[in-house]
Amino acid sequence: MSDGGNASKLIEVQDITRVFHVGGEEVRALRGVSFGISRGEWVAIIGQSGSGKSTLMNVLGCLDTPSSGRYTLNGKDVSRMSDDELAVIRNEEIGFIFQTFQLLPRETALANVELPLVYRGIPARERKARATAALEKVQLAHRMHHRPNELSGGQRQRVAIARALVAEPSMLLADEPTGNLDSATGEEIVRLFAELHQAGNTLVLVTHEPKLAARCPRAIRLSDGEVVADGPGREVALGIGQSVMAAGGT
Amino acid sequence: MKLKLPQGVRVDVVEGARIAVFSLKANRLRTVLTTMGIGIGVATLLAIVGIIQGLNTSFHRQLATFGANTIYVSKFPWIIKGDWWMYRNRKDITLDQVERLRHAAPFLTALSPSVQRVSDVEHGGEQLSTVRIQGVTQEYLAISGYEVTAGRFLTEADDETTRPVAVIGTEVADGLFPGISPLGRTIRVDNRTFQVVGTLSRKGKVLNQSMDLVVFIPFKTFYSSFGKGRRIEIAMAVEDASKLKQAEDQLVGILRRIRSTPPGQPDDFSINKPEAMAQTYEQLTGALYGVAVGVGLITLLVGGIGIMNIMLVSVRERTREIGVRRALGARKRTIVFQFLMEAASVSAVGGLLGTTVGLGTAKVVSLITPLAADVQAGTVAGGVGFAALVGLLFGIWPAARAANLDPVEALRYE
Ligand SMILES: Nc1ncnc2c1ncn2[C@@H]1O[C@H](COP(=O)(O)OP(=O)(O)O)[C@@H](O)[C@H]1O
Ligand SMILES: [Mg+2]
Repeated sequence: MSDGGNASKLIEVQDITRVFHVGGEEVRALRGVSFGISRGEWVAIIGQSGSGKSTLMNVLGCLDTPSSGRYTLNGKDVSRMSDDELAVIRNEEIGFIFQTFQLLPRETALANVELPLVYRGIPARERKARATAALEKVQLAHRMHHRPNELSGGQRQRVAIARALVAEPSMLLADEPTGNLDSATGEEIVRLFAELHQAGNTLVLVTHEPKLAARCPRAIRLSDGEVVADGPGREVALGIGQSVMAAGGT
Repeated sequence: MKLKLPQGVRVDVVEGARIAVFSLKANRLRTVLTTMGIGIGVATLLAIVGIIQGLNTSFHRQLATFGANTIYVSKFPWIIKGDWWMYRNRKDITLDQVERLRHAAPFLTALSPSVQRVSDVEHGGEQLSTVRIQGVTQEYLAISGYEVTAGRFLTEADDETTRPVAVIGTEVADGLFPGISPLGRTIRVDNRTFQVVGTLSRKGKVLNQSMDLVVFIPFKTFYSSFGKGRRIEIAMAVEDASKLKQAEDQLVGILRRIRSTPPGQPDDFSINKPEAMAQTYEQLTGALYGVAVGVGLITLLVGGIGIMNIMLVSVRERTREIGVRRALGARKRTIVFQFLMEAASVSAVGGLLGTTVGLGTAKVVSLITPLAADVQAGTVAGGVGFAALVGLLFGIWPAARAANLDPVEALRYE
């Protein structure tokens, strides 16, 4: 692939594979995946269940390392980093949003949002101010002293989004963020993503819902661990046109 | 930012401590109760060690007052091993035997027969109860280690003429003659009158018995006043402690001859040495010490395994939390620290409770038994600190397990 703008890309994935060994058998979850994502993009990763979306997400989020291939994040080769270095990368570059929210149940919304700042070593006072500001962004400042079990599903996901935003990472990684929400609440969250995209954030969204992917400016379709389509969200999600070969573009 | 510690370490310590406190405040009663075992183990260990050490030092101090060069021969041994009535069948020691021994054993530097009873002693309106009345001869002074502080000790003439004279210990002097000199005054013991001719130096307590609540009277005066039915003990001294062993061997032969013990029969008398008593005592407390330490260590081991178990449960319960923290940027060692701090502080609280309970028990024991439990603040601090240390030690494995969880797996854990 001829990518002149390599340096400007936030994410550069080259021929990544991820092989799991299960009872002597090899499961090839990713079989040579390549693409780039620029700053400010909103990209959906779609595909059927078992196509490798979550595996890719974990690699992009530096929770997992590829078996082979090269992954450059914000100019740094993270595919060979140590565990401690990856922890720092996760803290500084990535904001996770999970399908099951993954809030700490015994801590308040505020404390949950503060967590990434704790691991960055930010003093308590500044932490609190920044976490409050992040909660304001998701319109939850009035709920900041509530525990997750006192919040609705949509509110929990907004707390999680505030937590992902608070440390100002290079990108937000969301794995089926609306999967556990009813459609109206899901719509709220999608609108929030659209706003965040408007504000210049880089968003990578894993979903199996074509309708959701169709609203993203760009989508990458995985099938059996390979990229089978990469192009405008509507086209890739709804299977219109031949978007696979458009991958090199953008 | 005014950082004192490197940032990473500061995060580990501050956040670890915060989570530990959080865990304590949350529903962790179960955990604290589990770790109480450790506290109790630590407390009993410390208390027993303290008691034994206290006993040892005081016993040594007390024995020092007896003199290391003394031997006492009696019908019953000081420390009875086996059946008491075995000794009962022995022949009594007679005054005649004492005299024959005196002549047969020139290596003794002092020898005195000794008989005693316990009585009330009065002077004027004052009365002292359970005073040891002891009949001895002149040479007893050198053997006993008392010193005469005023007047004189008993003499040979006192004994031969059965004079009603007495030399008294400090507690008797202070109790009956507060503020005045007892010399020349009289005391009454069971309706018999004795004139005080001397007072003795303070000797303190031996095995919780005062050595100063004592009245010495001439041996023969004792016989004529209180009858001859009492058991005679023979108190002896040799030149110095190095001669003790040799003297003992010779004494056995002489005594057997004097008492015509048939050959082949065991000795029908007991030779007691304060020196040997110290050794017996040390063996006894040494064994106790060993048992206490053993029991304490086993308790600690059991308690430690309890902590390990509860921490493994805690790690499992919080697998997802660990995954979340790792995803948000916690390093492995931050997680290790979190669980170590939790293990240590939970154990410390358990230790505090356990130490309180343990020492409370020791206190009760000391109230209802003669054991002197010495409850010190240092013991409590030691108990808490030691419990925390054990918690730390047994928390290492669970903490390492927590840190080594795969973040992806942890996040997926149900
Ligand atoms: N930890 C793992 N061990 C073994 N196989 C795995 C593991 N994670 C994922 N896989 C396998 O990899 C493939 C892709 O899984 P995944 O990335 O979860 O797909 P998706 O998220 O698209 O449903 C599946 O066949 C799955 O069984
Ligand atoms: Mg998935």
